[in-house]
Amino acid sequence: MGSGLFGQFTAWYERRHDYARDWKARTGGQVVATMCTYTPEELLIAAGMLPVRVLGAHEPQNVSEPHIFGMFCPFCRDSLAQGLLGRFDYADGVTLTQSCIQYRQAFDAWRRHVPSVQWDYYCPMPNDVQSRHAKAAHRHEVRRFREFLEQLTGRALDEAALNEAIGVVNENRRLLRALYEFRKEANPKVTGLEAVYAALTAQFVDKREHNAELKRVIAALPDREMEREEGVRLMTIGSENDDCGFMAMVESVGATIVIDDQCSGSRYFWNEVKVNGDAVAAIADRYCERPACPTKDYPEHTRFDHVLKLAQNYKAQAAVFLQQKFCDPHEGDYPDLKRHLEAAGIPTLFLEFDITNPIGPFRIRIEAFLETLREDDLF
Amino acid sequence: MITAGIDMGSRTVKVVLLEDAKVEGAPALQFVVKGKHLMFPGDLDADAAADQAFEEALASAGLDRGAVGAVYATGAGRKMVKFATDSVTEMSAGAKGASFFYPSARTIVDVGAEEGRGIKTDGSGKATDFAGNEKCAAGAGSFAEAMSRALQMSLKEFGESSLRSDRSIPMNAQCTVFAESEVVSLIHSSTPKEDIAKAVLDAVASRVCAMVRRVGIDNDVVLIGGMVHNTGFVKSLQTAMGVDEIKLPDMPEYVSALGCALLAATQRA
Repeated sequence: MGSGLFGQFTAWYERRHDYARDWKARTGGQVVATMCTYTPEELLIAAGMLPVRVLGAHEPQNVSEPHIFGMFCPFCRDSLAQGLLGRFDYADGVTLTQSCIQYRQAFDAWRRHVPSVQWDYYCPMPNDVQSRHAKAAHRHEVRRFREFLEQLTGRALDEAALNEAIGVVNENRRLLRALYEFRKEANPKVTGLEAVYAALTAQFVDKREHNAELKRVIAALPDREMEREEGVRLMTIGSENDDCGFMAMVESVGATIVIDDQCSGSRYFWNEVKVNGDAVAAIADRYCERPACPTKDYPEHTRFDHVLKLAQNYKAQAAVFLQQKFCDPHEGDYPDLKRHLEAAGIPTLFLEFDITNPIGPFRIRIEAFLETLREDDLF
Repeated sequence: MITAGIDMGSRTVKVVLLEDAKVEGAPALQFVVKGKHLMFPGDLDADAAADQAFEEALASAGLDRGAVGAVYATGAGRKMVKFATDSVTEMSAGAKGASFFYPSARTIVDVGAEEGRGIKTDGSGKATDFAGNEKCAAGAGSFAEAMSRALQMSLKEFGESSLRSDRSIPMNAQCTVFAESEVVSLIHSSTPKEDIAKAVLDAVASRVCAMVRRVGIDNDVVLIGGMVHNTGFVKSLQTAMGVDEIKLPDMPEYVSALGCALLAATQRA
């Protein structure tokens, strides 16, 4: 275990593949590589499996090029590279629930070219979740996914098993929101980097273990003394971000990241499954209703007000867009979302992220942005 | 009080010493430049280079270190200036320095050796927005320098020769190395040197202009940084930006160092 209150989360993150191998050895269960946070994890957990979200490694790589376009987003290319390099050689299966076309290409290359994968499942999901037909369609797809898992494991995924899994995952969501509540306070007792570690590890650690650790940390937080300066309160906006070096840098130059709208953070856990007597329907509806990824946010841009409310509720003074290069859905939202935030008095900064990022130039941009916010002090 | 600004650029170190002059009847602080110095850090020791540049600037102004009330640093190596009182980013320093020369400045274009940036300011010398080049030097001075080498011309000749051309040859390469290949192809096809020089400077200006458009182009436009000395680039940039005039300060590569010294003076006054 790492040091400090959040040391376990950090250790899990830094040794995430070791954790999955160890989990497999001690439980005998299957590990499933999940691509995209629209995956209905409740089904996998009910089937006794460990969902492990595929993340990149932020290292230069040269293996993905034959299988995916160079102008597909760096997260796609990095995620594919991790499979091709054998980093997920413990994963028995791989699954994707439809979000963006680029990540689907990464998934398709995974299932064709990662030899250790024994099975794969593509779960279609409506991108037009605002359609009146969307929930019915997605309930149907989640049912089909359940049938697939039942055949694969020879084990019935009945209401009791699904409800138990829903309970575990919902508890994880509640605990992460409770952790995020501390970020509303002045000089929060949870830094942005710590929150990233907590939210990211929820996406590959056994939820029961993760819940226990969250409870321990949340119980200790009220007595925590923060010795760092708060600085400017920032929000981060984007798709996946686990560039922890970047987050650490931002929080070392006079800022605290107090909230995010990212699938590696709040979008992953924000809303719960509402149990209603039909577990599959409840699970499917939850994913249709969750804070939207830009791929599933039209014709109405529901996320614009959601993002603004988050910024206001968490008292963010400014927002930083962490834009994965070539991520068309987020790039499409950017101009209007920027205007939406700035019209409400929240200045923004745009940074373009690649597999590896130039931390020096990024530092200058962050510092310059903070200077523009603190201009009355400086000038 | 005497203050100092030191700009640790990627290629050169610039120092400005500034003294506030009490001009009777003047509404605000007035400043005179006491001394300035530019040097090339020859041995890659940025720490020693900062020290040496500062000492030489002091010597030229007949001052010792004790006479300087505050030293502010900026530039890529600003954290390496151990004797600095404080540091600010190039955006804040550039906005402050350029606004000192031209209070009417609203858009500042700063093109140095390896970075180009556009800075918006509101007239008070505050940087309100900015955009910069990332991971690529094709919109900066070192690109023009590499191309002048390929043409076997000095930078001065390179800039001046482009003014003699009225051709527009598009350069499509996204990176310095590939662009050099394009230059070589043009040489092989017997394209006059001045046309190639203009093609290169038009390409640099186009990249810089695209970047500045991200923050918006409002008059007055001020160009700072070493590329001001490249007359061909200035013309190409003016054409690309579609403005009637680009204001050029007298000591363009010192503007950010001056901005630092001004910030040190106004904050410590």
